[in-house]
Amino acid sequence: MTETTVFDAIVVGAGHNGLVTAAYLARAGRTVLVLEQRERVGGAADTSEIMPGVRVPTVAHTVGRLRPSVVRELDLKRHGLELIAPEVRAFAPQPDGRAVTLWRDVAETQASLRPWSENDARAYAPFDARVRGLAKFLADLGDEVPPDVREPGFGDALMGLRLGRTFRGLGRDDGRTILRVLAMSVADFVAESFESDAIRAALAWRGVRHTAMGPWSAGTTKVLLDDSAASDGGASGETVYATGGPGALAEALVSAVRAAGGEIRTGVEVVAVTSMDGRATGVALATGEEIGARAVVSGLDPKRLLTTLVDPVAIGPSLRWRANNIRTPGRSAKVNLVVDGLPGFPAAASDPRLLRGRILVGMTGIDQVERVFDATKYGTFADELVVEATIPSLVDPSLIAPSADGAHVLSADVQWVPTTPRDGTWDDRREALGDAVVRTLETVAPGLGGRVRARQVITPADLERDFGLTGGHPLHAEPALDSFFAWRPLLGWARYRMPLEGLYLAGSGAHPGGGVTGAPGRNAAREVLADLKRRR
Amino acid sequence: MAQRYDAVIIGGGHNGLISAAYLARAGMRTLVLERRHVLGGAAVTEEIVPGFRFSVASYVVSLLRPEVIRELRLPEHGLDILPLDGTFTPLPAGSGAHTGGGDYLWRVNDHGRTVRELRRWSTSDAEAYEEYGQLMVEMARFIKPILGIVPGDPTDRDPRPLLPIAALARSFGRLTERQQAVFVQLMTMSAADFLDQWFETDPLKATMSASGIIGTYQGIRSPGTAYVLLHHYMGEIDGAFRAWGIPKGGTGGVSYAIARSAQALGAEIRTEAPVARIRTHGDRATGVVLADGEEIDASVVLSSADAKVTFLDLLAPGTLDASFEEEVRRFKFRGSSGKVNLAVDRLPDFTCLPGVGEHLRGAISFSPSMDDMERAYDDAKYGHWSRKPYIDMIIPTLVDPQMAPPGKHVISCFVQYAPYKLDPALGTWDDNREAFGDAVMDRIAEFAPNIRDITIGRQVLTPLDIERTMGLTEGNIFQGELSLEQLFFNRPVPGYARFRTPIRDLWLSGSSTHPGGGLMGANGRLAALEVLKSRGRKVA
Repeated sequence: MTETTVFDAIVVGAGHNGLVTAAYLARAGRTVLVLEQRERVGGAADTSEIMPGVRVPTVAHTVGRLRPSVVRELDLKRHGLELIAPEVRAFAPQPDGRAVTLWRDVAETQASLRPWSENDARAYAPFDARVRGLAKFLADLGDEVPPDVREPGFGDALMGLRLGRTFRGLGRDDGRTILRVLAMSVADFVAESFESDAIRAALAWRGVRHTAMGPWSAGTTKVLLDDSAASDGGASGETVYATGGPGALAEALVSAVRAAGGEIRTGVEVVAVTSMDGRATGVALATGEEIGARAVVSGLDPKRLLTTLVDPVAIGPSLRWRANNIRTPGRSAKVNLVVDGLPGFPAAASDPRLLRGRILVGMTGIDQVERVFDATKYGTFADELVVEATIPSLVDPSLIAPSADGAHVLSADVQWVPTTPRDGTWDDRREALGDAVVRTLETVAPGLGGRVRARQVITPADLERDFGLTGGHPLHAEPALDSFFAWRPLLGWARYRMPLEGLYLAGSGAHPGGGVTGAPGRNAAREVLADLKRRR
Repeated sequence: MAQRYDAVIIGGGHNGLISAAYLARAGMRTLVLERRHVLGGAAVTEEIVPGFRFSVASYVVSLLRPEVIRELRLPEHGLDILPLDGTFTPLPAGSGAHTGGGDYLWRVNDHGRTVRELRRWSTSDAEAYEEYGQLMVEMARFIKPILGIVPGDPTDRDPRPLLPIAALARSFGRLTERQQAVFVQLMTMSAADFLDQWFETDPLKATMSASGIIGTYQGIRSPGTAYVLLHHYMGEIDGAFRAWGIPKGGTGGVSYAIARSAQALGAEIRTEAPVARIRTHGDRATGVVLADGEEIDASVVLSSADAKVTFLDLLAPGTLDASFEEEVRRFKFRGSSGKVNLAVDRLPDFTCLPGVGEHLRGAISFSPSMDDMERAYDDAKYGHWSRKPYIDMIIPTLVDPQMAPPGKHVISCFVQYAPYKLDPALGTWDDNREAFGDAVMDRIAEFAPNIRDITIGRQVLTPLDIERTMGLTEGNIFQGELSLEQLFFNRPVPGYARFRTPIRDLWLSGSSTHPGGGLMGANGRLAALEVLKSRGRKVA
């Protein structure tokens, strides 16, 4: 041991969840050290300069799923977090110049749907209300620590939970509905209310974003409802920017950690969680240094944690086998473009506000979206992809320095690409992917390609290498039905406590899952604090 | 003057007949009404080509409930199941270790032989196979009781109907953590993802995962297909009765054994007696009206037709409230399977293993790779029948020679995918029947080139034909898709999973109910027992 200090807690990984846990622990008076391998904090909540004077949201581009409780309890506004929520949530321009637009306001959305279908316009308000009702249930579920399946019986635990009350609170109709729809494909879910294919595709999108599932896959309705949980999303979904990009959220969290006395070190690689007699004792660094702690909290994905950082003997072969089988099929990519002016979208010509939200490209119909997904099953990607773009510089001019005046940032969240291309490597295919994304955008923004001044293409291989995400999965583990609630990341290990005593999981691989929510980080902190208290 | 029965049963499929037997056994005056001239529904044997008898639709028995066999004394009434041995997966030329004619993967009941065969492909798979099999048997043992449970409504404030589920939860608690985890995976994962955890050999995974997609409009990579993998093992643990095989005389042989049992117990059975509608008075069913106008009174009407036929076709509009009808319309059928029955004058000759041999006596699975399986689904997803379909082929005459003239054979080909709803650009199934049949022949010919030469008769059954002939909506062989949201307490409609319907004295007993489809008989038995229970209470 080269260091004599023993921290109450060491947090491995300064992604947003790791920082959230650290902030809660520090505010509770615990000594906390956060260790980050990269030179920057925030993980996938990052802002970076890809051209002099132009900053882009490197990976995540919106932060609207952040739990209001986290913002409030950690006082993030005081620590500098500023949020911008445009009135338009999503705009899905079609190649024929029409568009599906989802607004914050339900009536305004209905007006935009009316030219497509009177029935669909009418169906939207009850659909939105239904999504909100069901999402509320998932939000409540998201605040719970999943039940202990080992000690009490499975059914007993479920019954005993406050969840039982929440479930009954849904009422009989919504109760039956949620049991029916959670396992349903999002294509079927939207088809129960809407007839227009473009509307179905735009509404279904959040059920498949960042997943290795197409809209016809069972369980994608759960992903959609989770996306609306605890946000003001409803059926349109949230669209909230942090001023200064998602990196600004990380900075606010850092400020919250430091203000409460927590310590953060970057550029530090943790190579092992040290343990003795089944108990985590601290971490070992690549430099050979060891740091002791009473609790070790991982913001890393569970597969990486359990298969690379923890002593295999300590967790045993059976659990190791299970950890190795945690599914992390990253099928998402990110492309950031700097363009020399605001791109022209003919479908938005009438109203420039339309470009302030998420711009859904390629969402012409459920089957068209599904076909893009199909290609990745065979290790390739389609000629034209499905893209959720934002133009953050439109709502947040601070991203563009005066020296680059007039430039705009187009951030493209891309589905679906293979985790590993069947032919060749991502290094060979990176630019072809960038071209496919530009081609996709040009279907609704002609001439965009000629205006690109800088381009950054982040493939699943890059997400794995540069952000430490196993398989390049932005959500740490696939959010399918096999990784949900009491079995996320693994059945028996869903209560934030990992198989070594004193080792915790606080990242997106824990319940209630991935995305910029802070929810697993917050729940994990609660459990760490309870255990620290009990043991003293 | 209308005839009067205690119970009238709509549909002489296996579930309808089983319900009849149980009700008659309890002393109810019971009548079964079958639309067709032949009993069995989808479990039916017919002479399609003169001299050649076919299990037209359903073709193997693996899940028929042992309590049904025992309680209805089916063996005494002629039930005889002949064992099938093994699954043979031919591979295309140039693949695998046997180059030239192509390789194959051949698993048989003899465990040692199968493991030796697998070792040819992968030593780790050979090892995993043993462990996997053991685990699946344990899983099947755990899950089996669910087939005998009447699913309670979890939104019900009365907890009593949920007690059987609580018992299941307790037995879940007794599993090891790994078993629990694997069980959850079985209920949620895709067959392909599930198998990926153990195996690396592509044709092995392709063939095993094929059993996960039978009768569904899902691919092997679709979440929710893993649990059907269990079905295979459920048959295996029944021990006493050989549960995996083909019934002597075809699957119609099962139906007629049940029918004879029902008749021996006092039930009456009428064929060519199509029911036109269910008669109701107020909120209760009072009997049925046949297509020729004949009226039959009954205290209880049990429909073994599917939920859509029962609720939307056989009840007068307006009988049910609109929200319930809406739920029924929501119930997904989406038939995805076809059947090609061949009469042949010689046996097919496989390039990878020429000649007549043991490999022809089991299932022959045309599932050479995971990609082939998934591509077959991709075609169907967009409304085209699979250009290179998955085929499960059986040659029943090798174990039951009486099905064809001496020296000749019948071949049963279960085919996926054949989506009920075709892309309108393709036209209707009537326009596509022969093209689909040709695609099946082409696929077989890739591995057994003599198939066209030996074929002397061919029947192609599309989902539309299955709907027309057997009355199964959209040709769904399970009377409603076995997707996760349509199982257990959601089957067929949330709140009505206990064989009861919103109409008093009208009950469902077909595969549209829990525990779903297949030649299993649990539905018919449970429904009859529920009817008896409800009447017993009334009497008491």
